[in-house]
Amino acid sequence: MTKWILAAGAAALALTTPALAGQDKGKGGGNGGQKAERGNGGGGGKKADRGNGGGKQERQAQRVERGNGGGKADRQVARFDGGDRKAAKTDRRDNVRSFDNRKEDKREARVFRDDDRGNVRLRGDDNDRRFAGYDGLRSFNGSIDNCPPGLAKKNNGCLPPGQAKKMLGAALPVALGSQLLDGPYRQWYRDNDQYYYRDDGDYIYRVNRQGGLIDALFPFQDRDYSYYDVGSAYPADYNFYNVPQQYQSYYADGNDYNYRYGDGAIYQVNQSDNMISSIVALLAGDLAVGQQLPSDYGVYNVPMAYRDRYYDTADAQYRYNDGYIYQADSKTQLITAVIDALV
Amino acid sequence: MTKAWMLACAATLALTACDTAKDGAAPTSEKAAEAAGDKTLATGLGDNAKFAAAIKAAGLEGALAGPTPYTLLVPSDAAFDKLPAGAVDTLMKPEGRKQLTAVLTTHILPGTMLAADIGKAIDAGGGKTRIATLGGGTLTATRSGTSIVIADDAGSKATVTEADSARSNGVIHQIDAVLMPTT
Repeated sequence: MTKWILAAGAAALALTTPALAGQDKGKGGGNGGQKAERGNGGGGGKKADRGNGGGKQERQAQRVERGNGGGKADRQVARFDGGDRKAAKTDRRDNVRSFDNRKEDKREARVFRDDDRGNVRLRGDDNDRRFAGYDGLRSFNGSIDNCPPGLAKKNNGCLPPGQAKKMLGAALPVALGSQLLDGPYRQWYRDNDQYYYRDDGDYIYRVNRQGGLIDALFPFQDRDYSYYDVGSAYPADYNFYNVPQQYQSYYADGNDYNYRYGDGAIYQVNQSDNMISSIVALLAGDLAVGQQLPSDYGVYNVPMAYRDRYYDTADAQYRYNDGYIYQADSKTQLITAVIDALV
Repeated sequence: MTKAWMLACAATLALTACDTAKDGAAPTSEKAAEAAGDKTLATGLGDNAKFAAAIKAAGLEGALAGPTPYTLLVPSDAAFDKLPAGAVDTLMKPEGRKQLTAVLTTHILPGTMLAADIGKAIDAGGGKTRIATLGGGTLTATRSGTSIVIADDAGSKATVTEADSARSNGVIHQIDAVLMPTT
């Protein structure tokens, strides 16, 4: 903190933009460090779990009716067995490290893929075919170390937004068909009658079932907690309605404003000039069914209105995150259920 | 408070947000505001004008005025005064917004955590417990006598001086120091 404060103080005295820019880049600035720390960390938890999810988890999603009363509509609980998912890291720093490895793995998987989900095994040429027809993509299909300078900085892999945008209107590459979203994202962007969502480790692609073409995309690993600035433009390349499902009833596009997700937040965006006018929700993205409850979720945090129904017992613990209450096994700390329809 | 708000608006380019805020409504959707209730975190900052101004400058007021429940650690004005001279001014400038947001989101925790909840976790954890922040970092809570102390990873410690101010979309704990993001 001292270092950070000194840097801020020095910058204040100097009143120079370069000093601040330096902080931005993580040379002592709070956010810079944050970025370095969490650049992959937030997603880290998730992405680590993508990988750690390992293997094949027999996810038997059952919809279980759960009585709740309180005047609320019946809530549904999706239950999953834990499968043989590797225990999630219990420390965020560990998550970061774990995710870094996973990220590397994922990038390498683009040329030498051994899909850890067990559904698809792609190697070499298969992977190349995955992006066949998209100019420039194959030239970026190496590991992260092979990315052209600058392209990997925003955690969007080697695929620059301009190239990714060429995917719009195209058919989803066959190899991505089985690339289901993992971690919280699968809960946030659920396949439905109109759309389904897939990812390639860099972007989430929304596919319109009618026609089977990609009609929206946005970065998958942008959870660096460096929120888009209020007063700046929301990135035009990802300007699609992408509010996570549990928030959609509150943040629908209207006459004056659009709402967009990105970098761990939901933004209010002025329709006339695409400028971000407000951050309307912050998302942690820390919990998902099948993961271990992180060690920094030891504090019971269920909203007051739900405490009479969801309280910790010797068998189960309940934690709130991003619109859902999750149930974890008290002994194993494995998150076994998510309770729907709550923000 | 009004002065602080004006300063916040002057410090931000988010003129739209300020235009909305000056009418008394936080910049969020109508449905979100309805669901959030009347006594939101955004309207519960009391005399903590510096924190309130910072929240507005960062454009986070809408997040505190929506239905998503958060636990807010609110540093007092005196806590901001303990920061090095000029630090707050730097943060409040448009070019300092990323740092400002990182600092503020260190004070926003997911869900509703009452002081008793934190205390139980401290006891269960053998004297301390780690708490995730919406800024992506982690804080550490311990007991000091009858008080709860919350520390950032750099070792700065803040004591909860007034706990459990219930709001319609969460709870506020007042603290006596500004916490910093994990670096």
